Amino acid sequence: MSKVIACYKWVADETDIKVNADSTLDISKAKGKISDYDRNAIEAAVQAAGALGGTAVALTFGTPKAKQSLKDALSRGPAEACYINAEEAARADGAVTAKALAAAVKKIENVSLVVCGEGASDTYARQTAPRIGAVLDWPVITSVSSVRFDGNALIAVRRLEDCMQTVKSELPAVIAVLPEMNSAPIPGLKAVLSAGKKPVTEFKAGDLGVDFAPKTTVSALKAYAMNRKSVIFSEGEIADKVKELTAALRKEGVL
Amino acid sequence: MAGIYVYSDKKDLAAELVGFAKGCGKRAIVLTFDERAAKDLSNSGADKVCLLKGDSELVENYGKSIAHLLAEQGAELFVVGATVSGRDIAARVAGYLDCAMVSEASSITYTDGKLVTERMMYGGSVQQSEVLEGLCVVTVRAGKFEAISGAAEVTTLEISADTRTTLVERKDIVKEGADLSVAERIVCVGMALDKREDLQIAHDLAAVLGAEVGCTRGVAEEKHWLPVEQYIGMSGAVVKPKLYLSMGVSGQIQHVFGIRDSQIIVAVNTDPKAPIFKAADYGIVGDMYQVIPLLTKTLKGA
Ligand SMILES: Cc1cc2nc3c(=O)[nH]c(=O)nc-3n(C[C@H](O)[C@H](O)[C@H](O)COP(=O)(O)OP(=O)(O)OC[C@H]3O[C@@H](n4cnc5c(N)ncnc54)[C@H](O)[C@@H]3O)c2cc1C
Ligand SMILES: Nc1ncnc2c1ncn2[C@@H]1O[C@H](COP(=O)(O)O)[C@@H](O)[C@H]1O
Repeated sequence: MSKVIACYKWVADETDIKVNADSTLDISKAKGKISDYDRNAIEAAVQAAGALGGTAVALTFGTPKAKQSLKDALSRGPAEACYINAEEAARADGAVTAKALAAAVKKIENVSLVVCGEGASDTYARQTAPRIGAVLDWPVITSVSSVRFDGNALIAVRRLEDCMQTVKSELPAVIAVLPEMNSAPIPGLKAVLSAGKKPVTEFKAGDLGVDFAPKTTVSALKAYAMNRKSVIFSEGEIADKVKELTAALRKEGVL
Repeated sequence: MAGIYVYSDKKDLAAELVGFAKGCGKRAIVLTFDERAAKDLSNSGADKVCLLKGDSELVENYGKSIAHLLAEQGAELFVVGATVSGRDIAARVAGYLDCAMVSEASSITYTDGKLVTERMMYGGSVQQSEVLEGLCVVTVRAGKFEAISGAAEVTTLEISADTRTTLVERKDIVKEGADLSVAERIVCVGMALDKREDLQIAHDLAAVLGAEVGCTRGVAEEKHWLPVEQYIGMSGAVVKPKLYLSMGVSGQIQHVFGIRDSQIIVAVNTDPKAPIFKAADYGIVGDMYQVIPLLTKTLKGA
């Protein structure tokens, strides 16, 4: 049976990131989550596996902390999971990530389709899917809004700025899906309970034969400074607040 | 030819990127698949315009060949317009070259011969600086650099395509709404809207303000109450109006990313702790169903 891979990333929840007084950041205490759009990618992979008569496999490349994501990912429908457990993931750039994921795809064998999210909620780089395709030298289709299959062919609708393109490709292939693809249901209790019993394969960095040296060096990370007036009318009658607001906007000359 | 290679499927953006390359004091070589664009770009101040010709109508299919071309020519940098298809090609090229890539850089400079880039992370709350060495790939949105002018030689180059993916059909998206990226005033509706008909309160306010109506992602993608082109944010439209006024928008960072260049930001929200108030110049804590109609009435009366 062929396998359909869902690539998902365990990311820090951006709403938990603390900004220190000197505009440096504290990301260490942020809770983890499956990157938002990757929930749609997992659902798309589960549906594609159904259509192709194959099995869906959730695949993630993360630090030891990402272990806690496996149950969550599996509760969303994949039959098994594959986890590249490597400290190197903390410093990985697009080049390293794509090579690690592509190496795992080769190890898993008999893969007909790799599904990525359109962009991860931390990087939103939108580069991993095409890069995996390049490493494997497989066809890639990005910005996918819907797919169907016809034998060994994949027919996808892509959303571009000014048009919708329907393209056809042969399997195996890599796709990056938009969140409009499906509505990624919240897993039910039964799915959550059975997730713990599903098989997980773990790879260590050394198992993959990949060069984990990143091509980019991060030299600084700082909070984006929001410099707004933040004059908030919160007390009193609505009519007064509206009057104050209109007066302020008139003064600003934006009416 | 060594230098900065430029590509965008939008020719104005390609011209801006030539402006960037020349501003760095480097040679600029433009790649294009479009004959008309090649002609127009022959006056972009580039050193050379390469009109690429091959067997596929899908530009993405040339990723591998472009990677070979860049390596062979000793390119220093491949700078690509950040559109759907530009991002795709850029990442394929980076993948085939196994080189560094920075997506949607907000700034690119050469410092001591090394390329230094800045970009947003975590939906726009964090700015990351990176240093890149060797041939690398960077994508850039429109409007970051100024186009210049000057004659360039145009040459034609045969290039091979990966034909495993073929185009079946292409349907233009009929834009139902206004182009928010150039709107002077925007009224933005959030998920607090109870039902589709209630959009009327936004349209009424927009009418007195002479504004366009935009929304957050959920209003377009989940509710389908406004066309997808009308949602604002990191994955939607990036806007820079004189006045942006939101109703029932919480102000999550991914949305705020799209409004940060607005001159004045106004928010109406029932929750005094809503993050939108930190991103706003003026705000009213209150129910939009009361505030907005009253605001419309007040402005009408004035
Ligand atoms: C990778 C990624 C990309 C994203 N890109 C985008 C993007 O481009 N654009 C975008 O918009 N979102 C984007 N999002 C989603 C974003 O994170 C938020 O979920 C979204 O912006 C929230 O929309 P909202 O403010 O309309 O809804 P909510 O967050 O549900 O907020 C509704 C607000 O209305 C207030 N409210 C309720 N009732 C009333 C009332 N009667 N009067 C006044 N106020 C009221 C509430 O207090 C609340 O603050 C993205 C998310 C991810 C992960
Ligand atoms: N570390 C990772 N593990 C698994 N999948 C990943 C990882 N990083 C990125 N991806 C996949 O690639 C997509 C795009 O990521 P990015 O290119 O970083 O925006 C994500 O939505 C995931 O599907």
